[in-house]
Amino acid sequence: MKEFFIKLGDHPIYKKLLKEPLTYVAGAVLLSVFQIAHFTVFQKGWGVTSTFAVWGTWVYNVLGGDAGSWAYYASEKMQQELHTSFLADGGSIRNLGIIFGALAATLFASQFKIKKIKTLRQVVAAILGGLLMGYGARLANGCNIGALFTAIASFSLSGWVFGAFLLVGAFIGSKLLAKYFM
Amino acid sequence: MAEFTLDCLGEACPVPLMKTEKKMSELSVGDVLVVSIDHSCAMKNVPEWARKQGHNVEIEEVDDGEWEIVIEKAK
Amino acid sequence: MSETNSSTETGTQRVRKPRKPKKSQIPFALLLTALIIAFGFYLGQGSNKLPVYWIFGIAFGYILQRSRFCFTAAFRDPCITGSTSVTRAVLVAAAVSSVGFVAIKYASAMGGGDSNLNMAGVSPIGLPLMIGAVLFGIGMVIAGGCASGTLMRVGEGFLMQMLSLVFFIAGSVWGAHDMGFWGKLNTNAPKIFLPDVFGWFGAIVVQGLIIVLLYIAAVKWQQKKMGSIE
Repeated sequence: MKEFFIKLGDHPIYKKLLKEPLTYVAGAVLLSVFQIAHFTVFQKGWGVTSTFAVWGTWVYNVLGGDAGSWAYYASEKMQQELHTSFLADGGSIRNLGIIFGALAATLFASQFKIKKIKTLRQVVAAILGGLLMGYGARLANGCNIGALFTAIASFSLSGWVFGAFLLVGAFIGSKLLAKYFM
Repeated sequence: MAEFTLDCLGEACPVPLMKTEKKMSELSVGDVLVVSIDHSCAMKNVPEWARKQGHNVEIEEVDDGEWEIVIEKAK
Repeated sequence: MSETNSSTETGTQRVRKPRKPKKSQIPFALLLTALIIAFGFYLGQGSNKLPVYWIFGIAFGYILQRSRFCFTAAFRDPCITGSTSVTRAVLVAAAVSSVGFVAIKYASAMGGGDSNLNMAGVSPIGLPLMIGAVLFGIGMVIAGGCASGTLMRVGEGFLMQMLSLVFFIAGSVWGAHDMGFWGKLNTNAPKIFLPDVFGWFGAIVVQGLIIVLLYIAAVKWQQKKMGSIE
């Protein structure tokens, strides 16, 4: 049985379909097709980070906080988000799907490996980077998906503005990385 | 023509690329650099960068999710 | 290096570390696929929508991993090495998805009715957008991945991105908490839908022109920085 799977994994057609990376442009076209389908089905584009805020707020409320009065959750729609559960929330399911879709792709390629954190520098980078992205995404009303990819596709000028300032941030980030995180 | 190694295991993008770029600039023509990586994106962008620079590149999967990228400095 | 043709045979001259015995992860992949399908059916019991969200999530994660598509690299690589191959792929994505979105929006606008989709996905342009974008840009480069990229890498087994995800979520709550303040700066921020400004035809021309010009700029940038246009 084991031999069979090793042989299957080495087969040229298998390798082409499930192992060797697709080109960036192929990825771009496939993502766009699903992005368009998403808009058709749900009348809204793909987003990732507003769900993160809801997840965090659930934890905050469990720990005894009360986020119900925040301006961010003032609208009826957002109140609803607060009172739904993980398994009933489309955004949560979609984010979970990204994790498992990537896991499946990695396993089919036989490339899964737990990559441990090796240095303190990586810990600091992960914490600092995570906080900056989380805070920034709320201000900008989305991440590279919601505020950039979906916004541009939606013919919203905000997408291009986001992109321009994102480039400024990426430039500063690159300098910081070279200086402190190498 | 000496051979050098660069251990980038556990490093996330773009650190392997930045380290490779720095190391390659210190090598002389004909030297070989072997970069060990376990980052699935670096396994694509490091060879791509090296090819664009005109070096000879080979990728070898040494273990599940672990690669060695062999770069020979060409110019 | 006296022989010129030996340069192409780098690999054969090296003594290689022997590869560890091969293991195949395909059985785990098949098991996971079965679980993914089962979970889809489970979600389908309570709702028609949830399995669809599940499929989209799986598809996005799968495509991102298979193509190593990375929005972070699109903005970072030009700053670091000068490579713009991912940047150009993002522009292709912008172009293709624009075609689909504009068709859907146009159809909904022409169809009359109350549920006009014109403003779907259109965000206000104000100071918070700009500050947020800069903060996000710094964060994604340092953490080695944006939101979708972080989720994808969690699936690939990166502990660093798992840590980053925890703090991403914490930062999101912090941001949501402060939106009472930032929201005030957005009161006069315009929501600009390009066809409202240029008309449908004009907006398509403008959007197309932006994409083409940026594409040309990306090619020129790489040429200048790396001397290669591939």
